[in-house]
Amino acid sequence: MLEEFRKYGRDLFLAGLNSSHSGNLSVRFGDRIIITRRGAMLGQLGKEELIETGLAKNDSNIILASTEIRVHRAIYKNTAALAIVHAHPVHAIALSLIEDEIIPVDSEGSYLLHKIPVLSAEHTIGSQELEHKLPQLLKEYKIVMVRGHGSFAVGPVLEEAYQWTSSLENICRIIYLTRTLRGEFKHINFSKYKEW
Amino acid sequence: MSLFGWFGKALRVNLSTGLISREDLDPKLLLDWIGGRGLGTRLIAGEVPAECDPYGAENKLVFAAGPLTGTRVPGSGRFSASSKSPLTGTIMDSNAGGTWGVKYKKCGYDALIIEGIAPVPVYLVISEEQAALHEAGDLWGADLIETDSILKDRLGKNISLAGIGPAGENMVRFASIISDGSHALGRGGLGAVMGAKKLKAIAVQGKKKVAIANAEKLDFVVYETGKWIKASPITSQGLPEFGTPVLVNLFNKLGVFPVRNFQASQFSGANKISGETIAETIASGRRGCYGCPVQCTRLIRTGKTGVIAGPEYESIWALGPECDIGELEVIAEANYHCNRLGLDSISTGVTIGCAMELVEKGLLTDGPKFGDSTGLTKLIRQIAYRKDIGDLLAEGSRRVAEQYGAEQYAMQVKGLELPAYDPRGLQGMGLGFATSNRGACHLRAYMAGPEALGVPKMVNRFNVSGKAGLVITQQNINAAIDSLIMCHFINLAVSEEYFARILSAVTGVEYQTQDLHRIGERIWNLERLYNLRAGLEAPFDTLPPRLLEEPVTNGPAQGKTVDLKSMLKEYYRYRGWDDSGWPLAYKLQNLVLEGIIC
Repeated sequence: MLEEFRKYGRDLFLAGLNSSHSGNLSVRFGDRIIITRRGAMLGQLGKEELIETGLAKNDSNIILASTEIRVHRAIYKNTAALAIVHAHPVHAIALSLIEDEIIPVDSEGSYLLHKIPVLSAEHTIGSQELEHKLPQLLKEYKIVMVRGHGSFAVGPVLEEAYQWTSSLENICRIIYLTRTLRGEFKHINFSKYKEW
Repeated sequence: MSLFGWFGKALRVNLSTGLISREDLDPKLLLDWIGGRGLGTRLIAGEVPAECDPYGAENKLVFAAGPLTGTRVPGSGRFSASSKSPLTGTIMDSNAGGTWGVKYKKCGYDALIIEGIAPVPVYLVISEEQAALHEAGDLWGADLIETDSILKDRLGKNISLAGIGPAGENMVRFASIISDGSHALGRGGLGAVMGAKKLKAIAVQGKKKVAIANAEKLDFVVYETGKWIKASPITSQGLPEFGTPVLVNLFNKLGVFPVRNFQASQFSGANKISGETIAETIASGRRGCYGCPVQCTRLIRTGKTGVIAGPEYESIWALGPECDIGELEVIAEANYHCNRLGLDSISTGVTIGCAMELVEKGLLTDGPKFGDSTGLTKLIRQIAYRKDIGDLLAEGSRRVAEQYGAEQYAMQVKGLELPAYDPRGLQGMGLGFATSNRGACHLRAYMAGPEALGVPKMVNRFNVSGKAGLVITQQNINAAIDSLIMCHFINLAVSEEYFARILSAVTGVEYQTQDLHRIGERIWNLERLYNLRAGLEAPFDTLPPRLLEEPVTNGPAQGKTVDLKSMLKEYYRYRGWDDSGWPLAYKLQNLVLEGIIC
């Protein structure tokens, strides 16, 4: 398990999807959850950075766990997810500040994700508000952006949640680049996915 | 100058003459030393000769609130007491939460200076309008529950009480002052100073409003602080659900949970006395200090005592694994008696642990044995009343061990017993213990934060390189936090920059984060100068030989000792002290500390 966390933690950092100390990963095992330690550097995870605690029930390890543990728990309780990646992809964050939803304009992005909802909350870190709202969206979408904060992606394994995170940032980078070109899209219309 | 946060007043009570006077405090004194520990240290250093007898009339006891006390800042409902300690001979301060600090501050005072010795036992009643001494002959001998009950019947249910039990009256060197029944100014024997002065209790009942300079700014910073308190799993889940016993399983797993007077570092029965087990078995509720959202005090129900405040992490350890005792109800009851009789539970447990090892080594006969839980409560009562072997143990572990020529078995620094962390597995904690101005204290530099909990950042707990700088930073900032006064638990959720902004909003004086570090450094160095003047020079900056020479025998820290020598050298250099531990002239000049000590 450490190897999995280490691999995707490192990739998230190297791909610029997280800064040195941001983001967190978790997996679910029955009624237990393994989550990265609060303040862990995802690019340099060691075994001390993996904290195991209860899915529903606290134990003493709670004081070591990521600040986002309440959101991770809520997602596991309300969805079939077995792995979660929370990242801070910069283009996606930038776009989330001006859009209510992110509609991919590239083929692969559109094929994979169709639409990424943007969720607004007053408190976005360790937030009770997100604890209630985010799982509802993740019942329907693979990845959700929290406005101005970051992404939460789910999957049956860490690799898949990592994939959605990576795809999201690619989607947003393409949107950003095409907007800077100031041209019109040729023979292509993804706006139908607004209804996705 | 208009003051916000402070009242600018001190109450001086001379117990020898019965004279009570109200004094103006120089605003500069408040701006420079803030309150709490800083103000207490400054007043003691300026008024109490370092060489004095802690039990003599020359010694004084200063109770101080801070500018935040009585405001709605979370974790600010605290007060401190400062004096010269009969246990360590050092300058000593201790602080507590509850409601006493707030009701005292709201009488209109920043400091209460107690001096002299009363001819007969007395108690002091302070309100906004007046302060008066009353004979306490009928209270002398009463424990703290009884005292609380009698004085509330006499003075009204709304008073808050800080007082001593039989331990303080009998001048047990580690007697505590207890406020609101269970909030202890635990360390260093300040209860014994109160006992020597024949002051049984101080009742307070103020309602005066604390003026805030910038309420709008305060609202904003308090709101932001609250967000982080709610977000942090430590302050929003771990402490509210388990209290400080949340640390039992964690530190046991790391192999830094001392057993049998630090002969081992992991306790096989840890889970049975852990926060989790308490929550599942005897917990019956929780409560907190004035205005604090964390609510970390566990209420428990035991067969013998009913609903009481549960033992904290340190008390569980000291009255449990330190003595090789693992029965939760026994520990909880022992802790209850410590509070009721007015004893510091840490020093009580470690002194008993020391005696147990002396018995084990055949040096003491007829003493307590490791693992003997049946006699624990009786032994605690014997200590409080200085009966039989209790009279010896009431002197603290260092003096007990010295009497048997076996000082190596006293787990203490400068006379203050070690708390619940084996520094062989937390090297920075070891340096923190060795250099602490009040002896082995975990709160002066809580290095378990970075070394075990990742607060503010995780560092390698076995490394020594760079630890001196971290310890100094923590010692300085914690001295400032103890002066505001804020609860250290809030510092687990937000950094000191929040505290600087809160202080600025309350007082209207612009404090930057760096100002807090400098204020803390001044406090630390003034305490150091006082201790040096009292004769505590560099050789006292050490640890018990066991921690320096005997490797840990079990657990993840197996094979480790504390590499103090290299850290200490670096520490002195970073502090700007010479090899003998004296602050260099440039440092004194820079910190403007010359001429303060009387």
